[in-house]
Amino acid sequence: MSKADKNYDSDKSESEDEQQNGRVSNKGRKSDDNEGYTWEGEYQRSWDIVQEDAEGSLIGVIAGLINAGKRKRLLRDTTPLRRGIIRHMVLVLDLSSAMEERDFHHKRFELQIKYAVEFVMEYFEQNPISQLSIIGVKDGIAQRISDLHGNPQSHIQKLKSLRECNGSFSLQNALEMARASLSHIASHGTREVLIIFGSIFSSDPGDIFRTVDALVSDQIRVQIVGLAAEVAICREICDRTNSSSTNAYGVVLSEQHFRELLMESTIPPATNSSKTADSSLVMMGFPSKVIEQLPSLCTCHSLPSRGGFHCPRCRAKVCTLPIECPSCKLVLILSTHLARSYHHLFPLKNWIDLPWSAKPTSSHCFACQVPFPKASEASDQDQAASSMRFECPSCKLHFCIDCDIFAHEQLHECFGCQCSDN
Amino acid sequence: MKFYIDDLPVLFPYPRIYPEQYQYMCDLKHSLDAGGAALLEMPSGTGKTISLLSLIISYQSHYPEHRKLIYCSRTMSEIDKALAELKRLMQYRTSQLGYEEPFLGLGLSSRKNLCLHPSVRREKNGNVVDARCRSMTAGFVKEQKQAGMDVQLCDFHENLEDLEPHSLVPNGVWTLDDITDYGTKHVRCPYFTVRRMLPFCNVIIYSYHYLLDPKIAERVSKELSKDCIVVFDEAHNIDNVCIESLSIDLTDSSLRKATRGVQALEQKVNEVKQSDAKKLQDEYQKLVSGLQGANTASDEEQFMSNPVLPEDLLQEAVPGNIRRAEHFVAFLKRFVEYLKTRMKVLHVIAETPTSFLQHVKDLTFIDAKPLRFCAERLNSLVRALQIAAVDDFQSLQQVATFATLVSTYERGFVLILEPFETENATVPNPILHFSCLDAAIAIKPVFDRFRSVIITSGTLSPLDMYPKMLQFNSVIQESYGMSLARNCFLPMVITRGGDQVSISSKFEARNDPSVVRNYGNILIEYSKIVPDGLVAFFPSYLYLESIVSSWQSMGILDEVWKYKLILVETPDPHETTLALETYRAACSNGRGAVLLSVARGKVSEGVDFDHHYGRAVIMFGIPYQYTESRILKARLEFLRDTYQIREADFLTFDAMRHAAQCLGRVLRGKDDHGIMVLADKRYGRSDKRTKLPKWIQQYITEGATNLSTDMSIALSKKFLRSMAQPFTTADQEGISWWSFEDLQSHQKKSLKMKTAETEKHDEEMDIDMT
Repeated sequence: MSKADKNYDSDKSESEDEQQNGRVSNKGRKSDDNEGYTWEGEYQRSWDIVQEDAEGSLIGVIAGLINAGKRKRLLRDTTPLRRGIIRHMVLVLDLSSAMEERDFHHKRFELQIKYAVEFVMEYFEQNPISQLSIIGVKDGIAQRISDLHGNPQSHIQKLKSLRECNGSFSLQNALEMARASLSHIASHGTREVLIIFGSIFSSDPGDIFRTVDALVSDQIRVQIVGLAAEVAICREICDRTNSSSTNAYGVVLSEQHFRELLMESTIPPATNSSKTADSSLVMMGFPSKVIEQLPSLCTCHSLPSRGGFHCPRCRAKVCTLPIECPSCKLVLILSTHLARSYHHLFPLKNWIDLPWSAKPTSSHCFACQVPFPKASEASDQDQAASSMRFECPSCKLHFCIDCDIFAHEQLHECFGCQCSDN
Repeated sequence: MKFYIDDLPVLFPYPRIYPEQYQYMCDLKHSLDAGGAALLEMPSGTGKTISLLSLIISYQSHYPEHRKLIYCSRTMSEIDKALAELKRLMQYRTSQLGYEEPFLGLGLSSRKNLCLHPSVRREKNGNVVDARCRSMTAGFVKEQKQAGMDVQLCDFHENLEDLEPHSLVPNGVWTLDDITDYGTKHVRCPYFTVRRMLPFCNVIIYSYHYLLDPKIAERVSKELSKDCIVVFDEAHNIDNVCIESLSIDLTDSSLRKATRGVQALEQKVNEVKQSDAKKLQDEYQKLVSGLQGANTASDEEQFMSNPVLPEDLLQEAVPGNIRRAEHFVAFLKRFVEYLKTRMKVLHVIAETPTSFLQHVKDLTFIDAKPLRFCAERLNSLVRALQIAAVDDFQSLQQVATFATLVSTYERGFVLILEPFETENATVPNPILHFSCLDAAIAIKPVFDRFRSVIITSGTLSPLDMYPKMLQFNSVIQESYGMSLARNCFLPMVITRGGDQVSISSKFEARNDPSVVRNYGNILIEYSKIVPDGLVAFFPSYLYLESIVSSWQSMGILDEVWKYKLILVETPDPHETTLALETYRAACSNGRGAVLLSVARGKVSEGVDFDHHYGRAVIMFGIPYQYTESRILKARLEFLRDTYQIREADFLTFDAMRHAAQCLGRVLRGKDDHGIMVLADKRYGRSDKRTKLPKWIQQYITEGATNLSTDMSIALSKKFLRSMAQPFTTADQEGISWWSFEDLQSHQKKSLKMKTAETEKHDEEMDIDMT
């Protein structure tokens, strides 16, 4: 490798680490540049990152950077696990004065609301038959912002109406309130609490350790996203309420990382098989869409409408799905909703990044027919480097990076496996 | 893990080893081979104790000499920790070797901690416990009992008498708790069990004082053989321990008590003279034949022992004028009265022992020679009179010790009489300080007597100061860095506040409102960003009080109060213990707390702030000693004249070792993390910084040596965030944590380098030859 390449590599690894590997790797990480006031942070010398190649052209380098960005996709653990896809989560927002801090480019508060909205959307996208409730903590008191239900729009509306933050945070109050709203949930649903913790302390009215004991006995999982630093009590709460996973407590490095940490919680958690081994049947209704001649009142909003869904049990009309039937409490859902949660249970396997040394079996991407880069372009030394081809381990077909990302992020299916006969 | 250092097989009870632990063991082994003194500085929390123990135990069992290990530590809790480590090590060795080695490891503490006697153990004061214990265990008490007198004996002690003297406890490692449990079960005194087993055990773990303080050492550590391995752990304050063990303060009230003691003694002498004159006659005869002859009685029941070091002890007979009991009592009376008149002076006096003795002679016609025998003579008299309740005589004992010391040593001591407590006081409260200036006096016999002496601590820098001060030549002087997989601590120097005004605890500047405000701002800012525990150190109680009161009026404390509880260390140990408990509770439950403490206080020396108990430590100012102190001035002068150590050098050295000690409190291991802030302009200068231990220096980047408050806050925030990222032990492997394979490859590499070096050297030699 030439000297220039080496420079390029070392520079890149620094800037990339912070962006992509967020919390995947820790080795050699320098702290990140996107925080503090811009003038307090260290210089980000973009011209050092970009190096000309041998011919003085920047094209190859830029393409490399773009591809590196694409490869950011987290390589997830793909072992099929039993996961609870009927989730019940309480999202706790920090509305204490610590959120006035401007250590990111925006106020922490604004960032929190922005990402909370994104989180709510993503959460219901990934877990359509789940429910959410939102609690805010202000002046040491926990206030319910929205009740436990499954309508993202109303959550988002409530979130957007939040304006001010004041006083201090109280972990105990928040957890007690969350516990109260989760304790009646049936055993087939998960009980989760996600806390955005912007302060570094918590003023509690009583002994928090008793609350933690209660959480453990109620099997409520608590995940915490800290915005400033590691707080011992948070670490303890997370360690004790999450039996297996170790990454329940994360502290953000940058805005980007904040978002990543939040989005991680949209994946349904693996159920602790030993405790909830008894499989229970859940009654669900699959209504079909109806279009009526004359408008009638819906049971959910009491507004006249012509379209909607009839509950198969009591014939009540609702306008959106999924929902719990307001009159007979049956869970109403579409089969596509169930299917959407399905990929969490059987995730698509990670595709293998092939080196140049691997024998080419096709010259084009199987899905989009984009030609692969030619092997001759690569020098001999780079045999082990990525050739930008990705192989599905089951159908052995090769794909380009864009198709890889599309299949894993959106489709959750492999093009090749779907096309093959068996 | 089992590996070899040269030819020595070392059994290390963990599957992985830190690189610095390996280095430390290698150097330790070489110094043991060579004999002599070694000075080793190793970062706190990198497993110093276990490396030390595992190497030395392996050394003991591999070589036929079976050299005994004497391990001296500072506090009870450290002794206990070391014993627990030793126990684990021995369990590992047994499991590895497949058989149990004949091994005895014991820890010794004071009677107060070990006593089991139902009424004695309830006493709070250590001296009272000692005295009451002696009154029940001394040999003559037993004789009295046998003679049919009504005296109380201690059952726990009596039960020991029936046993074989060398097998009071079975083999094994006995922690202090173990031995008291054993004692309770078998009704045996743990203190005397340990004392009597000392000559038979392989490892002894006890406090410095048992070796350094001549008053105790003579009794406890006399029988230890020459090739013992002596280790002083946490030895950064060893010079002060040496000095304190030979210094005495006399006050008005202690002299008054001494007078009462003399009177009681006189009464007793008269009583005995009438009832049992033979006893005194016997004693007189003994004294004629020489002091050592009088010393035949079992020494563990002695009332007090001679404070003078063994080689200075005179082998001759006690001078005639104090041989008779009544003469000696009169002599003591005269001496105490003389001291009382000296105390009446209303101006400060500093003089040497020689001039003091001259003055004594002029006024009272007391010679130096009888004074020298004072301690021994008092001891012998008390023994002869069979006085059991010796606690009445404590002050008298102090005076006698003083008399002996002042007449024995001409150099290295100073007498300072301070009639007033503070400069502005008008009511005299005189104190006579008899102060030792030369730390080498107390430690010299240790170096002379034992073949290997290891001095080790987390903070010994600058290393060359200790050999100068303690007068020894070290075979190995080494300071180890700290290998880290991530930079888990962040040392920073803040030289100016947010308003760019430089900050300093210099005497002229320390009460300047801008400095006080800037210090306050540092505290506010750090209490905002540091989670859980935050510890702040101040140079002195005086400064702490003054700055806290001005912070109160400036509203700074109110601001800090919003984020954290504020707790303050006070000179009262009970209050401080309470404050520490509250502090720890607040750190654990997420409330967070600030502890304001003093660099030379209890907190800075003995208390660890590991993990969330201390995420940051702020050192406000440089903890210089109070330079107006006359004792310090005398010591500085002595050091300059005798050992050519400049005053400024010594003061900086002393201040920096305390600062380092404070900083080290926050980091107790490689999985811990913490911020270290040095808030004073003067830390920016390299002459101060280079005196910090190597492992701290190593991580002070050039950019972090001259920061303003806001810059340091930005750095700290970033640091705290990156430290909160998941970090597993797997990340450390190979870098800061070696498995057996890593170790082997390292050994191979260093061997190769060594051979290459010798070859090169040989070649050079050849060239020289031709």
